[in-house]
Amino acid sequence: MIFAKSRRWPSSRQDEFLSGLEAYINRIRSEKTLDRERVIRALDSLGRRIAAGEFDKRIASLAAGEKAERYKAMAARSLSRAYVEDRIRRELSAPEEENGPVRTEWQPLGTLFHIAAGNMDGLPALSAAEGLVTGNFNILKLPQADDGLTVEILSALCDEEPDIGDFVAVFDTPSSDTAAMLKMAALADGIVFWGGEEAERAVRTMAPPGVKLIEWGHRLGFAYVSGNWREDGFREELEGLAEHIAVTGQLLCSSAQVVYLNTASMEEAEDFAAYFLPLLEKASARHPASDMGEAAVRSIRARVGRLEAAVRRAEKDPDSGGVSDRVRLDGAGCSVTVCRDSLPELSPLYGSVLVKRLPERQLLPVLRRSAGKLQTAGLVCPLCDRERLTELLIRAGLNRVTRAAHMSDVFPGEAHDGEYPLRRYVRAVNVERIRPSDGRV
Amino acid sequence: MGAREKLFGWKDPYDTEGTEEVFTAAMRENAAYSYAHCPEYRAVLDDQGFSPEDLRTTEDLARLPFLPTAFLKAHHLFAMPRSRMLIRASSSGTSGAGRSEIGLEPGALAAGARMVVKIASPRHILSAMPCHYVIFGYPPRGTSTAAAKTAFGYTFLAPALSRTYAMRKTEGGYVPDLNGAVRALVRLGKSPFPTRLMGFPSYTYFALKRMEERGLSVRLPAGSSVMLGGGWKQHWRERPEKGELYALIRRTLGIPEEAVMESYGAAEHPILYCDCPAHRFHVPVYSRVIIRDPWTLEPLPMGKIGLVNLLTPMIFATPVLSVLTDDLGILHPGGDCTCGKKSPWLEIIGRAGMEEIRTCAAGAEALLAGMREEGAGT
Repeated sequence: MIFAKSRRWPSSRQDEFLSGLEAYINRIRSEKTLDRERVIRALDSLGRRIAAGEFDKRIASLAAGEKAERYKAMAARSLSRAYVEDRIRRELSAPEEENGPVRTEWQPLGTLFHIAAGNMDGLPALSAAEGLVTGNFNILKLPQADDGLTVEILSALCDEEPDIGDFVAVFDTPSSDTAAMLKMAALADGIVFWGGEEAERAVRTMAPPGVKLIEWGHRLGFAYVSGNWREDGFREELEGLAEHIAVTGQLLCSSAQVVYLNTASMEEAEDFAAYFLPLLEKASARHPASDMGEAAVRSIRARVGRLEAAVRRAEKDPDSGGVSDRVRLDGAGCSVTVCRDSLPELSPLYGSVLVKRLPERQLLPVLRRSAGKLQTAGLVCPLCDRERLTELLIRAGLNRVTRAAHMSDVFPGEAHDGEYPLRRYVRAVNVERIRPSDGRV
Repeated sequence: MGAREKLFGWKDPYDTEGTEEVFTAAMRENAAYSYAHCPEYRAVLDDQGFSPEDLRTTEDLARLPFLPTAFLKAHHLFAMPRSRMLIRASSSGTSGAGRSEIGLEPGALAAGARMVVKIASPRHILSAMPCHYVIFGYPPRGTSTAAAKTAFGYTFLAPALSRTYAMRKTEGGYVPDLNGAVRALVRLGKSPFPTRLMGFPSYTYFALKRMEERGLSVRLPAGSSVMLGGGWKQHWRERPEKGELYALIRRTLGIPEEAVMESYGAAEHPILYCDCPAHRFHVPVYSRVIIRDPWTLEPLPMGKIGLVNLLTPMIFATPVLSVLTDDLGILHPGGDCTCGKKSPWLEIIGRAGMEEIRTCAAGAEALLAGMREEGAGT
């Protein structure tokens, strides 16, 4: 489906729309600008409609129960005037004082081409909303997994504020349609993309020289447990960690993939895994798959994980006396795997966490290599060690340090992967101040 | 003669009831071979405490460990040296998700050829009458996907006068050339020979839509047909009702509904599922379907929706005896179909969407993989 000029059109008309897109964008951008106040008003009003339950049916198709409530609350909060205005204040604070020889202001980059990821419902629309708040024209390429939600959101925004419709064009072009992707890229001043190295390489080949590439890369998160985790105080934190793993399905950049222990002892890692598995089982039972599709994906993932463990075990030569480098403990709807190595890596997801050893003195040397790819650490430790370990994690490259239960929470005003998104969608322009004494021409 | 040969030589290709014993025997034969020759497959069976000898009755088939297609995409398993495989086909799929690689040995190809003849004859797909082909898919050269190979293979079911491909190669990859396809169809409308359209339903639909939008229609000669296969993939949102598609085909090409066929299959399960005149996918004797509960992966009774697990003893080179797809479907009891076939039929409802799940975290993993190879660690 295509969404342009505030209307839906069939995908079969893509070529026709793309061939007219440049002239259309040129006309819009020459004739008008997008008023930020109007965009904020539209976002805020949409957020209120979501909070009031107008979209409950649509949200129910994405998630059920508590998860649906969380979605709703998150959408309402991040669209609210207070939140958006706070972001603008923080991210786009005035670049210059009033009375210099030039005035400086943030202006939109121009046209943004968003290549959105499909791992989070609503993300493509959020990306477009950031482009709109900063006054850009937005070309959006939908991820394959988009089920129409993005267009529904944008269409609702256009109902609120018709001007927005002039600044958005959405296409569901598959990434393999290079010709169409090239056409869209050619019209852009900035290309916003979500993805890893492969995505970056693909974007670089299609981006005309001089275009600003705005990458939101893939990141990994982990928990770091230091101290005597058998003690009472730790239990609640570890339950919070288990809950976080079950709730996020480990699908987010901020989700814990690995639980690191501040120890060099393999025995302790194995003890911890045995201790943590029942906590994870309880949390998983509280958050079963909400629908058949998710259940299927989880079951298949778990089965693949089990097969891979079996194959790996068999590959170890039994004669060499080699110990298996991974021991997997299977629980109901979850698993904990103890690994010999210390490297950050992706877990099999959906409640399958890895346990690794990482003594404090090894923390920086090991994590530093992956610095650009790490995001959140959920720290579980005695209060007296917290500041020291937080500092160390940040020096090792982490961008967020939280309590284990809060790894994926969104805190007001926080940066994204070490950057302020809105600031990447604007440019600072300077205009010399002309005084009457400078003459008539 | 081995059990596989007996099964693939069976007279009635939809006599699933009569072939229960020989099917199980062929599966046991294949499981024993794969167990002996593929170490990874042996590890999987050992892990689940299953021995090929445990396959005695039809009920035992559900206990045979199955391999998810996601596993086959990450691990290419073979039970034969490459030199003994005539063809290696890969599944389609985005590069990120990986592709399965399936080897086919001469025995598998011979079995497959007999299957195609048996399944295709009643639907008059095999014909001595030369015809033109318009293929809404990829040319066979430059791609190793099973879909492209199958489509090319089908163009030999009747002598080809011409082959027009609706996917055009450009610098960046293949793009659909719908206008070219429309021009070809209009041209072929004047030919005295029939035309066969085959390939992705989406592009076929888009091209015919475009034809209609331009007020074009042709009357293709009798014997012309449409064979759709490969699924709607990323275009599933625009998938019309089946009846609407058949009506469009009749209006634009003059091809009646009876001459429109749809096939279902997967690179990991290369059994030809061809719909009957009532457009149902009856299970042929070469295959069995088990529907599994998405939450527990336990077998479900007929009529319930779940993950589609496909079984066949056709191939020895790659252990794809029992493959768990990410398709969601329902197995309906046979016997009441107007087409007269007695075997159960499979209805595909949708996909669980494994390939569409792209987590940020999954992408970061790919980047870190390179570092791991350097052997860092404590």
